[in-house]
Amino acid sequence: MGLILWAAPLSAILIMFLTKTTKAHHIISVLVSVIEVAVTWVLTYQVMVEGQIAYGFVGKLFYLDAFSIILLNLVVIVGMLAAIYNIGYLNHEKKNGEIDLKRIRLFYMLLYGFIFTMVFALTVNNMGLMWIAVEAITLASTFLVGFHNDKKAIEAAWKYVIICSVGIAIAMLGIVFLHISSLGINEGAGILDWTTLYDNADKLNGPVLRFAFIFILIGFGTKAGLAPMHTWLPDAHSQAPSSVSAMLSGVLLNTSLYPIIRTVSIVNKNMESSVFTGRLLIGIGLISLATAAIFIITQKDYKRLLAYSSIEHIGIITIAMGVFTPAAVFAGLFHMINHSFTKSMLFLTSGNILQKYGTREIGRVQSLIKVLPFSGTVFLIGLFAIGGTPPFSIFASEFSILISIFDNNNFILGVTIIGLLTLVFVGIVSTLFRMFYYNNREENVTSGETNKYGVAVIVIMLVIISITGLYMPEGIFNLMVDAQNVITGGI
Amino acid sequence: MEKYLDILSILILVSSFALMANKRIKSYINTFRIQAVLISIAAGIMGAQSYAIEKRLDIIIVCVLIVILKVYYIPKMLHKTYADIEYKVGKDFFFNIPVLIFACFALVVFSYYCISDIQGIDKGQLNIQIVNSVSVVMIGILFMISRKKAIGMIVGFLVIENGLFVTTLFATQGMPFIVDMGIFIDMITGIMIMGIMVFRINDKFDSIDINDMKSLKG
Repeated sequence: MGLILWAAPLSAILIMFLTKTTKAHHIISVLVSVIEVAVTWVLTYQVMVEGQIAYGFVGKLFYLDAFSIILLNLVVIVGMLAAIYNIGYLNHEKKNGEIDLKRIRLFYMLLYGFIFTMVFALTVNNMGLMWIAVEAITLASTFLVGFHNDKKAIEAAWKYVIICSVGIAIAMLGIVFLHISSLGINEGAGILDWTTLYDNADKLNGPVLRFAFIFILIGFGTKAGLAPMHTWLPDAHSQAPSSVSAMLSGVLLNTSLYPIIRTVSIVNKNMESSVFTGRLLIGIGLISLATAAIFIITQKDYKRLLAYSSIEHIGIITIAMGVFTPAAVFAGLFHMINHSFTKSMLFLTSGNILQKYGTREIGRVQSLIKVLPFSGTVFLIGLFAIGGTPPFSIFASEFSILISIFDNNNFILGVTIIGLLTLVFVGIVSTLFRMFYYNNREENVTSGETNKYGVAVIVIMLVIISITGLYMPEGIFNLMVDAQNVITGGI
Repeated sequence: MEKYLDILSILILVSSFALMANKRIKSYINTFRIQAVLISIAAGIMGAQSYAIEKRLDIIIVCVLIVILKVYYIPKMLHKTYADIEYKVGKDFFFNIPVLIFACFALVVFSYYCISDIQGIDKGQLNIQIVNSVSVVMIGILFMISRKKAIGMIVGFLVIENGLFVTTLFATQGMPFIVDMGIFIDMITGIMIMGIMVFRINDKFDSIDINDMKSLKG
């Protein structure tokens, strides 16, 4: 079953390479993404029943537990919605003569390379292979970021590949030290496996392990967009085609946090307390939150603003993982899910706006709801959701994170976060709401949606984020409790 | 045998100092090649050792790959990229060379200080090889931020990669084989992608000076 998960995107790349019509490309893309979702759901059911899945090709190469299956679900579901969105998006670009058949084929091939590497990173047990997959994510998505091939896109892609590669190289150093800390304990097949590292965590060499954790946090944190290593993120997110931005923000950042969180549970089990990791994670999370708040207020580009908002939410998730009480970890996981859907929805919507107005500048977009009735409305509601207003799911998870922080008697931290979140909300309202007003400027945009598939997708996502804010099915709840136990070790 | 490895690790460190002192793109590509030769010798010694004791072939295979990729292919590709783009004479570094060399010294002292503080990194006695190779990683990062040309960044990235490789080699006798192979595949695609990017940058900006790329801010 797991092999299908790996084989489907790879065969998609191959078939795309061989087919020559855009229609066929669209059909293959949607079909493969639906297969991925179906397979993942079967695996999810298996994980719910059995707790974990481990196949042994070499050792236990393929491994899934409740934590990784949640992130895997996000990758494939957002991937599927983006695949449907792409049909309308690419057709519109093609109609305008901006891209041709070959470029669409290249886009899809890179996109499925991107999805494959993310799926691989989440399903593999060996930390070395996971590192390889995360580095491959950068490589597969570089040309996607620079897809428009103009000056700005090239600049963004160059920054992306250089900063992320160096970051990942530092993470490799961390993995080497992790390996050193486990010398003499894990020999043979289980070398560098999550499962063996975690099971033998108390025997690992503590000082070396902590040294390794710092490198892993900085390294993968670069890719997860934590400040102050975030500088590639706003550029890459704003210059990439919108469906790619949605994937980058919605799932890539989570995938990059995944190894950090895994290492956190190993270090905390080794030290029998979360003080060391907690200080680092909370510190770096607060810096991210503050950086994002400052840049959001002064932002003039709506896609960059959404990118900074991603830094903010990744910061919040990091803080939740730093607090490391069961409630905080649960809320952090929930926030990962909610941020993923809400931010992908906003980026996809921003793609519709960009295609209509042809500009990323906030000041040059006006009467959004009149021009784009559906996208405009979804964008407005989505902004309230991402700002953390009830009844949307982001509110629910942010609120539970705050409650868990106050429960942990961390009043200063809680109040600081509330202050910064307020600042972010004010920033979003004061900058982005201008897009909905009429400001007497002559613009020749006709009203009406351009991307019908895209509208359907964003409406579905809006429904998802509205429902999960109020009600969570019991199966998903239990799965998340399992994931929380995987991370905290069931304390 | 340990003595030779110590000498090699010091030579690798010295070669990264030399790299930092190089002014021209051509000369630092050549210095990189020398560094790769030194690393392949180190890997060769380790490989022969592990083959003699445990009959393991993997480090020897990795050594052959280093010779093919880092000694032959990548420098050749970088020279070709450099020859194909428009050449403009100009200062390629932000600070003076002596300042950069002093910064390198400081980095070595810094990594010595950090690593000697960690207990149990090598059974009680400090492993000078790890200090040297972590210093190479640090110097690679410094090299990247000190050069203006895009090719300088690629070379800096390669030096970081070299430092990582010698750290794994000296500290752990190599990672699991499949991981080593994956790192090589990643590295070669990464360098190729960066090479293509250099062409595109040259195409759009009429130079490979990264200081020209300033349109995305805030």
